[in-house]
Amino acid sequence: MATPILATKLYIPPPRPQVVARPRLLECLNEGLRSGHKLTLVSAPAGSGKTTLISAWVYQKDAPPETPLRNAGQARGAGGELLRGDLDESGATLQPSSFSLHPSRVAWLSLDEGDSDPTRFLTYLVAALQTVAAGIGESSLATLQAPQPPSTETILTALLNEIAALPEPLVLVLDDYHVIEAQAVDQALTFLLEHLPPQLHVLIATREDPQLPLARLRARGQLTEVREADLRFALAEAAEFLNRVMGLNLSAADIAALEARTEGWVAGLQLAALSMRREPDPARFIQTFTGSDHFVLDYLLEEVLQRQPQAIQAFLLRTSILRRLSAPLCDAILGHTEKTAQETLESLERANLFLVPLDPERRWYRYHHLFGDLLRQRLGNPAELAEDHLRASAWYEANNDLAEAFHHALAAGASERAASLAEAAWQAMERSFQTAAWIGWIKRLPQAVVCGRPRLCVQLAWAHSDAGELETSEAYLQHAERALAGAGDGPGSESLPGNIPLIRASNAQNQGDLAETLRYTELAMQLIPQDDFGLRASAAITLGFTHWATGDLELSLQAMHAWRDNMRRLGNPLFDVASAFAVADMQVILGRLREAENALRQAISAATALGHEAEAVIAHHHLGLALLAHERGEAATQTHHLQTAADLGQHTTLVDWRYRWNLAQARLKESAGEWEAALELLNEASRVHVKNAIPLAYPVAAHQARVHLKQGRLDKAQAWARECGLSTEAEARYLDEYELLTLARVRLAEGALAGVSKMLERLLALAETQKRSGSLIEIRLTQALVEQAQQNRPGAVAALAHALALAEPEGYLRTFVDEGEAIRSLLLEFSATIEKRANINQQRLISYVNQLLAAFPHPATLPHSTVAQRTAALVEPMSGRELEVLQLIAQGLTNREISERLCVTISTVKGHNQRLFGKLQAQNRTEAVTRARELGLL
Amino acid sequence: MPNRAMNQPHHPHPRQYQLRVAGSLSAQWSEWFEGLAITPAENGETLITGWVADQAALHGLLKKVRDVGLPLLSVNPLEPGAPGGADASGDSIQKE
Repeated sequence: MATPILATKLYIPPPRPQVVARPRLLECLNEGLRSGHKLTLVSAPAGSGKTTLISAWVYQKDAPPETPLRNAGQARGAGGELLRGDLDESGATLQPSSFSLHPSRVAWLSLDEGDSDPTRFLTYLVAALQTVAAGIGESSLATLQAPQPPSTETILTALLNEIAALPEPLVLVLDDYHVIEAQAVDQALTFLLEHLPPQLHVLIATREDPQLPLARLRARGQLTEVREADLRFALAEAAEFLNRVMGLNLSAADIAALEARTEGWVAGLQLAALSMRREPDPARFIQTFTGSDHFVLDYLLEEVLQRQPQAIQAFLLRTSILRRLSAPLCDAILGHTEKTAQETLESLERANLFLVPLDPERRWYRYHHLFGDLLRQRLGNPAELAEDHLRASAWYEANNDLAEAFHHALAAGASERAASLAEAAWQAMERSFQTAAWIGWIKRLPQAVVCGRPRLCVQLAWAHSDAGELETSEAYLQHAERALAGAGDGPGSESLPGNIPLIRASNAQNQGDLAETLRYTELAMQLIPQDDFGLRASAAITLGFTHWATGDLELSLQAMHAWRDNMRRLGNPLFDVASAFAVADMQVILGRLREAENALRQAISAATALGHEAEAVIAHHHLGLALLAHERGEAATQTHHLQTAADLGQHTTLVDWRYRWNLAQARLKESAGEWEAALELLNEASRVHVKNAIPLAYPVAAHQARVHLKQGRLDKAQAWARECGLSTEAEARYLDEYELLTLARVRLAEGALAGVSKMLERLLALAETQKRSGSLIEIRLTQALVEQAQQNRPGAVAALAHALALAEPEGYLRTFVDEGEAIRSLLLEFSATIEKRANINQQRLISYVNQLLAAFPHPATLPHSTVAQRTAALVEPMSGRELEVLQLIAQGLTNREISERLCVTISTVKGHNQRLFGKLQAQNRTEAVTRARELGLL
Repeated sequence: MPNRAMNQPHHPHPRQYQLRVAGSLSAQWSEWFEGLAITPAENGETLITGWVADQAALHGLLKKVRDVGLPLLSVNPLEPGAPGGADASGDSIQKE
C-alpha cells in the first residue's frame, strides 16, 4: 500500500455519444475561464447532470477561443489596468492567451469518502495533477509519507510554486466534493484557492455548497457558479432530450406534462424516458405518472425495473452493493448466469441504465451514484445480502484490495473476518502512511472483537503511537497483554510479546524520556526472536537514535550496525546504503572525518552496483562528501560532490533532503562571509524541516545566532539567548551542547563571561567521557576564545593546542579558519612556542599549523570578514572599548547615556569618540557610523 | 422492523425528529432511513419520524435525504408525547 492510487478515480468520464447541447451553460463555464475566475462551482442535487455537463465541457469541440487565465487579475496586481494586447507585448512570463481547454489540460479527481483523510486527499490531488504535468509534486508526495509530515500549508506551498512554474495553464476538477467531511480538507482547499497561481483553475462539482470562502470569492468576482436552477432542463431542452437523445416521439403537451412533473430534473426525465422506451401507450403512462404524487424517482425507478427482464433486475439490485463493478467481480457475486457479466454490463451501458465507465477499456464501471442509492434502497432480505457482501469480500481479498474486502466483510456483519482483514492490511501497509485511514476502519469494528485480538491491539498501539496518541497506544498495549494472557499462543504470535516493550520504548522516546526508552528497548531485544529481523531492526534503530540523543555515539554506531545487519538479512540492501549518511553524521561528531568519508564512499559504490533505484537515496551522501571536502579545504572535490548532490537531490526519496541541502548551502555561504544569504537559507531550512527520528543536535535558531554574531548584530543574538531557555549554569547534555557553545559566544561578545569557563569544563568532561572528538574540538576552540578574552593567553594557547592535536590527523581546516583573526593570532603564538622547542615529533603539527595559517585570507583583501579582521583593515586598529562605544553610537545613544552605560565619565567617552573618528576618518557621529558600516564593523 | 441503535432512546441525548419531504414515499423507505417511521401527510408530502441519537446522526439522516434527491421541506424536533411522534419502538405508525 505504498501509494495505492486508483487510476479509476483520475479518469475523466467520457462524453456521452448523444447529449442535449447546452450552449448557455458551456458558455458560462468558458466565460469563467476567460475572465480569470479562480473557481467554478457546480452545486446542485443528485441527478442534475453535473458530471455530464462538465465532461461535455472538457470535451467540447469549439474550445473557448483565446482564454487568458486570470492575467487580468495579474495585471491589476502589477498596478494598473492593462489591455490584453499590452500584456502580450510586455512579454509577461505567462502566456495564457494561447490557452484553450483540452482534455489533456484537465486534471480530474472523483472523490470518495476516504478522501476526507487529508493525507489521502493531497496524495490524490498530486496524482491528478501528475496526469497533466508529469512529475509535478514528487517531493510533496515524499514529504506526505514522512512519519510526521510538515504542515499541509508547507506541502501546498511547495506544490503551488511548482504549479506557478508550469509553462501551460490547467484545470483541476474535483467531482463529488460533497463526500468530503473534514475541515482539514476544506482548509487545504481554501489555502490552495487563496494562493492559486494564474496557471490553475479549480472546478468543484458537489451536492452541497462546500465550506470554502465562497462569499469572498463571489465579492471579488473570482467565482463562476452553476446551480440547480441552471441545470434544470427548460421545455426546449426536455423536448430535445426526450425525442432526439432518447429516441421517443412525444407530443408537445406530453413533454410539457413530463417537464412540469419532474421540474426539469434530468434524472427524472431520463428514468421516464427509459420507462417509455417500449411503452405502446406513452400518453397513458404520462397521465398515470403525472397524476401520482409519488416521489418522482421512487415511482419511475419502479417502472424502469419492472420493464427489465428478471435477470437484469436481479443483476442491478444484487450488484448495487458494489462501489465499483467489474465483470469478474459481478460473476463472483451472481454465479453463472445466462449472459456473462461483461455482456450484461455493456448492454446496460448501451441502454443508458446509469452505468458510468471508469476506464477506457471498460474494465471497471460504477452506477450513477443516485441510481445506485435508489437500487440499494430497494434491497430486501438481509441474509441474502450478507452472502453477496461476503462473496464480494472474498473476491476483493483474492484480488488484493483489502480495503474493499474489509468494507464488504463489515457490511456482511462478519466482524471477525473484517478484523482479520484489517490485520492483514496493516502488515501490507507501509507504516505511517494512511495510518489515519486504517484507524478509521477499526473504529467501525465492535470494541469487543478488537480487544479479543492481541495482534490487532498491537497494531493499533503502533498506529496510535505513530499518530502521537500515546495514551490510546498504551491502552491498546494493555488490551494486548490481557488478550495474550487469555488466548495463549496463536499461530504467528511469537513476535507479539517483543512488540509490546518496543512500542513502549517508542512512546517514551516520543516524550523525550531517554532512560525509559533505553530500558524498554533493551527489554524488547531480549524478547524478540533472533530470526525476526524486521523487529530486531526496529529495536536496533530505536536504540541507535536514543544513544545518539544522549551523545553516546559509540553505542549508537553499534546499534546502527545491528540495524543495518538485520536490514541486509531482510533483503533490504537499499536501507543499508541509505543509512550511511547517518553513520557519517555520527562519525563527524566523533571527530573521525576519514571514517565518515569511507562510510559515504562505500555506500556510493554499493549504490552504483544496485542500480537506478539506489541512486535516489545517495544525494545525502554526496552532500556529506561535499561538506567534508569543504572542511578540509578541497575546493574541486567539494564542487564535484555538490553538483552531483544537486542533480540527485531532485529525485531523492529521503524526506529531509531539502532541510539538509539548505543547511549545507548556508554553511558554504557562511564560510564565504555572505551572512544574509546564509541567514535566508537557514530560514528556509527551518521552514522545510520535517521532524524525524534523527536527533536535532544543531538547532537552526542557534546557528542563526552565530551568524548574527559574525555580523556584529549582538542584539539579535541576545534575543536568541533570552529565548533559548538555557543559561551558563545549565548541566551538560549532549543535545544542548551546540546551543550552550552558542550561548558562550554571545556572552563573549557581551563581555559577560561569568560562569562560562565552568560551563565549558562541564561540556568538556561529558564529551571526553563519550569520546566525541568532533565536539571536543569545538569546545576547545570556544575555550581558547574565552580565555583569550580574559587576557589568559597561555590558557588560550593550551586550549588551542588540545584542539589541534585532535584535528591534525583528520585534516580539519574550515573549523579553524572560519573563526578569523582571534584564532589566527593564537595560532601564530602557538607556532612560535612550539618552534622554539621543536622536536621531531612535532614536525607534523608544525606543518599542519602552517597549512592552517596559509588558509586564512589576508585581512585587508577581504570585503567580508570577522570583526577582528575588519578592525585590522583600518589604518590603525580599533580597541575593544572603541568598538563598544561605536556600537552604542550606532544605537543612537547620547554621550551621557554611553557614559552611564559604560560607567565612565563623559570626557572619557569624548576621548574615545575623538580617537575612533580619527581612525575612521570621520567628521561626526553620523559619518563614523556610515563608514563603520561600509567597513563591516557594525 | 429491525430496531437499530439509532432509534433506541437510551443514547446520551437521543431526541425525536420529524422531517417533511416533498413527494409520497412507500413504507419500504423506512429501511433506507435507518428504521424511522414513514407516514404520508397532506399535499403528497411525507413525514419521516423517529429517534435520532445525536446531532451527528441527524446530519447523517439529512445526507440520506440529499443523496436520493428528495426535496427537504422542514426538520423539527418533537417534544416527548407530541402528536405525530413515533413511540419508542418506532413501529406503530408504520403499521397503520
